[in-house]
Amino acid sequence: MNRKTLLVSLTLVSLVSGIIGTVLYLASYFWGLLLILGGAGIFLFSRFLRDKTEAVELLKKSGKSLLIPVAGIILAVLAGGIIMLLTGYDPVRAYKAFFLGGFVRNWHVSVLNATPLIFTGLSIAFAFKAGLFNIGAEGQYYVGTMAATFLGIRMGLPPLLSIPLIFLISGLISAAYNLFPAFLKVRTGAHEVITTMMFAHIARYLSPIFIRAMGGDPATSPHAYVTYPILEGNKLPIFRSFLPLANYRLHVGIILAILMALFVYYILYYTKYGFEIRAVGQNPNAARAQGISIGRNIFRALLFAGFLAGLSGTNQVLGLTHKMFENLDAGYGWNGISVALLASNNPIGVIFTSLLWGALDAGGQFMSRTTQTPNSIVEIIKGIILFLIVARYMYTYIGNRLKRKRGSGPVGREKV
Amino acid sequence: MESGNSKPVILETRQIVKQFPRVLANNNINIHLRQGEILCLLGENGAGKSTLMNMLYGLYKPTSGSILLKGREVEFHSPKDAIRLGLGMVHQHFMLVDTLTVTENIILGTEPGTAGVINYHKAREDVVALSKKYKLDIDADAKIETLSVGLQQRVEILKALYRRAEILILDEPTAVLTPQEVEELFLVMRELVRSNVSIIIITHKLEEAKAISDRVYVLRRGNLVGERITTKTNKQELANLMVGRDVILRVHKVEKKPGTEPVFSVKNLDVKNDKGFMAVSGLNLEIKPGEIVGIAGVDGNGQSELAEAILGLRKGEAGTIFFKGEEISLLPTKKRIARQISYVPADRHKYGLVLPMKISENLVIGYHDKKPFCGSINLNYQEIDRHSRFLVSQFDIRTSGIAYPAETLSGGNQQKLIIAREFSRDPEFLLISQPTRGVDVGAIEYIHNRILEMRSRDVAILLISLELEEIFSLSDRILVIYEGKIVKEFIPEDTTDKEVGFYMTGGKE
Repeated sequence: MNRKTLLVSLTLVSLVSGIIGTVLYLASYFWGLLLILGGAGIFLFSRFLRDKTEAVELLKKSGKSLLIPVAGIILAVLAGGIIMLLTGYDPVRAYKAFFLGGFVRNWHVSVLNATPLIFTGLSIAFAFKAGLFNIGAEGQYYVGTMAATFLGIRMGLPPLLSIPLIFLISGLISAAYNLFPAFLKVRTGAHEVITTMMFAHIARYLSPIFIRAMGGDPATSPHAYVTYPILEGNKLPIFRSFLPLANYRLHVGIILAILMALFVYYILYYTKYGFEIRAVGQNPNAARAQGISIGRNIFRALLFAGFLAGLSGTNQVLGLTHKMFENLDAGYGWNGISVALLASNNPIGVIFTSLLWGALDAGGQFMSRTTQTPNSIVEIIKGIILFLIVARYMYTYIGNRLKRKRGSGPVGREKV
Repeated sequence: MESGNSKPVILETRQIVKQFPRVLANNNINIHLRQGEILCLLGENGAGKSTLMNMLYGLYKPTSGSILLKGREVEFHSPKDAIRLGLGMVHQHFMLVDTLTVTENIILGTEPGTAGVINYHKAREDVVALSKKYKLDIDADAKIETLSVGLQQRVEILKALYRRAEILILDEPTAVLTPQEVEELFLVMRELVRSNVSIIIITHKLEEAKAISDRVYVLRRGNLVGERITTKTNKQELANLMVGRDVILRVHKVEKKPGTEPVFSVKNLDVKNDKGFMAVSGLNLEIKPGEIVGIAGVDGNGQSELAEAILGLRKGEAGTIFFKGEEISLLPTKKRIARQISYVPADRHKYGLVLPMKISENLVIGYHDKKPFCGSINLNYQEIDRHSRFLVSQFDIRTSGIAYPAETLSGGNQQKLIIAREFSRDPEFLLISQPTRGVDVGAIEYIHNRILEMRSRDVAILLISLELEEIFSLSDRILVIYEGKIVKEFIPEDTTDKEVGFYMTGGKE
């Protein structure tokens, strides 16, 4: 009994310090990282107390799954360095600036970049689990943005009511935007890659028209077309309101994004809906033979994916921009595909890959500003990382080739 | 051991060892093949038959040991070397291009002609001549997609002969064939042997080993456990060698009177196939509790469409299906499953399992949204795991843990998983299709006994199988299906497989 209370309290302590540490760290209080590490340490310790072998297994497993991504990142950074050397830039100086910018000086920019990516990444990862490629997340993002702007300007309820309502309604409208592609998929088999992509273009180019229709004062923005700002009460709280040293733009949207990732993970692995979606995604025939409706799950997956991508836009408007301006190159939907792939569609993984992507962008900007190294090097590194990690089957192939050379034959998955 | 054949040894392996990372697939295998004989390599799935043949064909390299061809030691680096030295292999899955003709397929890779221009005329003549010589009876100009599976297999054989194969390795050649096609294949094999081609046939079917070979090697878990002259052995002995213990080949079926009221019936059912043709037409059947009704037929005569219609996976065009007096023809699959209709599909990878999902998840799928596995929306993993562990021990599924993906199981254990899931739902009607396809002898015995156990529990069972032996040993009644119709009904004790086979292939009184 005593041991049990100890275990529970250790877990609680690790959880609390992890949460507080994460919030602090995201708000650029770097000592928050110590709290996170401490919490992780305590958690591991409690696991060890409970069951040694299980804890070791856990460590091994997570180590293994981190191996390829980390190796990919290192290789990509090396390749980027070589390119810089060949083109006459100083890689050491550039990378110094890059790291300083991405992870220290402009860390808040990294976090701001990552927030919408987490939502769109989740959207794509979720659809992927059902075997669907929601390539049109970009479009659902714009729908979410437009809905949030409209509601943000017009809906003047108390903040505690108004903000959740705007999130909910904008999300639902974005979900509805996927209704037609889902319907076509189920009824006619029209491929969602085509339909959602086309719908993405529609939404994207609808946005300038929407902005003009909403009207706004061009003097308030460097952009030619802007809407009026949303009401003060509809803005998401900023970190600075409780952590005075945080950057004034940093809003709590990142927390919402992380919570959403946890929620998506929960749905996928702990509910019957997630079970069905995974079954349909991995073998629709077998799922159907067990009475699981493929059509219903396509609807669920695409609509929820639309909902998530819509939240991305809502979050951006309520948290960061507070209005909408003509910006057709945000690309959060497209980049969401990268972060989802990079995380092998694991919702928790999406948090980290989005932060990485955000940091790469922020670091790249800082690097090009301070060292005059072209920002395109960052895009090259991104491409290489994506290639090295997504093409992970390559490693199995190379491994098998090596083993064959040594004369021990190809190694398939071993049967029990 | 000497057979009647005293011709020279053409192929020999000496102390072949093949070590995979965690499995010793072949342990000191010594076999020899004489010219002009049919040698059978018998063993259960995973016994190491295919590994051995893949080494002979240059796909794998042996860890140690040597291969002697006509007395000379050889080393194959790839199948190219093996082909060059006169070996040919016909795989279970054919390597043919559907849209090309027979001739084109045969010359693919060794096109005759000069400077990149193919001499089609010569190629065609060669193919026709070869086909005549070995009495293969193949139209050299037919497109592969228009040929039956049996004929496609002959094209594969012809392809090997065209490359001057003197030794032919056939990997489970009968797995895809109808009984008639099997007979024809055997005729072809005898014809080949007469022209001094030597053949190694890999199989796990005792029948075939008995029917076609001159000599049999039995492999078990990577070891050569026996060599027998076919005429001097029997099926029982071979089965015991294969499994390593005494196997009961004929299941013990107790006399049992079925119930009187049919629990399941199909009336005038019409079902179309994917191409829009009527695959099942005007089909009637009735099954009483505690009765096994076997559907015998050649593959593609409407069996899969019938099964899918019964489960609601395919819409019937006309007709009705009754279960316990209720019409279920219009109910969705989910509701049929909820009424305790269980289904063991023929293709376990396609319809039976979600391979990348956990074993435990596969054990509850279909009932995953019901109590106790699920609350209102939350899955109850404690309960799922408890139930899974129970089934794994109950049905003797060999796993390394229920949290591993179903794809880590061997074929026999995957089938046991499906059987465990379906049989544990207390079905009142059970539809079983091809329950032992690709499953080894030990597991077949086990599965058959489980099916009979369901019968003794008064379950109405519809058994669809392409294996006549299985139909005969399990069924209380046999219905013969031909072109989507039940053409004849038999009681197994009053008929023979010849007679059933006659009706299966469209024979009329």
